[in-house]
Amino acid sequence: MIEKYRIRYCLRLSLGGFLLMVMLAVPCFAGAPTDGVKKTTDRILAIVSDPALKGPENKGKRGQLIRQAVDERFNWEAMTKRSLARHWQKRTDAEKKEFIALFGKLLERTYLDKVGSYSGEKVIYVDETIDGKYGTVTAKILTHSQTEVLVCYRLKEVGGDWQVYDISVEGVSLVNNYRKQFNSIILRSSYDDLVQKLRAKVAEKD
Amino acid sequence: MVRFRLNELKASGWELNPMAIKQGERMKKFDLELCVGLFMILGILCLGYLSIKLGKLEVLGSQGYEVEAIFSNGGGIKSGSSVVIAGVEIGRVKQVGLDDYQARVLMDLPFDVKIQEDAIASIKTRGLIGDKFIEITPGGSEELIRPGGRIRDTQSAVDLEELISNYVFGKL
Repeated sequence: MIEKYRIRYCLRLSLGGFLLMVMLAVPCFAGAPTDGVKKTTDRILAIVSDPALKGPENKGKRGQLIRQAVDERFNWEAMTKRSLARHWQKRTDAEKKEFIALFGKLLERTYLDKVGSYSGEKVIYVDETIDGKYGTVTAKILTHSQTEVLVCYRLKEVGGDWQVYDISVEGVSLVNNYRKQFNSIILRSSYDDLVQKLRAKVAEKD
Repeated sequence: MVRFRLNELKASGWELNPMAIKQGERMKKFDLELCVGLFMILGILCLGYLSIKLGKLEVLGSQGYEVEAIFSNGGGIKSGSSVVIAGVEIGRVKQVGLDDYQARVLMDLPFDVKIQEDAIASIKTRGLIGDKFIEITPGGSEELIRPGGRIRDTQSAVDLEELISNYVFGKL
């Protein structure tokens, strides 16, 4: 009789343990959006820390490789559309295409050099939310001085692939920043002036 | 002339008796009370109107639609805080609540202000330490947010103290 109880007790314990494991495992499960962001980040980190690609003489090649990796994850059209906001619909298809290329170049110029100064900072994926076709991935970047920088990626699922359309660093959104700047330039002068300004900025020191 | 009139009145059955005079007085008194009463009601109505107008209360329900937004940090936004587009107040915060340890803000917007699906809502501070308000930067999507919908892209209140502490401790 006692033996029977003991078996039952053991069974219950193991079942409880299993349930606990499942419950603990669920929050650690990384979904498709995090997977996508992680894959791209790892790829870029591999390029940046590759000794064969270091040095100023390899800068062009390195930049090209990074751009390729970023292109796969970033939805430039969605990003540009969101940044131009109300002014997007007034543009012709050719203008849209030109602006997407210019905007991509601008971001590349602004941030590529910063990626080059990478020196082993850690990236930790903290949180992920999925709401239908939209998702967010929150990551923390740990610097050497133990400062945390919170980065939030906003993604949209396009054909089974999660693509980034906005990045917030410490709660400040990239798209919102450019949206305000573009809007104020267009309202102050014109769309053509904005394109010219972007062209000048992209051509700087090139 | 007067006598003639009086005779005429008497002929028509009118009598100058004390009872009638008293009754007239009573009528006058009643008129006065009515006046005071009406005046009081008018006063109360004015007071009600003023308190609704100044307190910005809604009596006849709202003439708009609701849109919600989730912020990771509400920064002390309250119901009644203004919702602004391009610096123009277009609506107010109706309700602030907690949803999965995040701030869920319900806004009341007028029907003639359409919000695009990719609009961004951010919590801002008036001045350096002033009131909090919500700023919506309109997007470019053809899709509009339906009543009861949600602004997906939000930007929480920037915590100045945290930024300073990050800066200070980052220097260690």
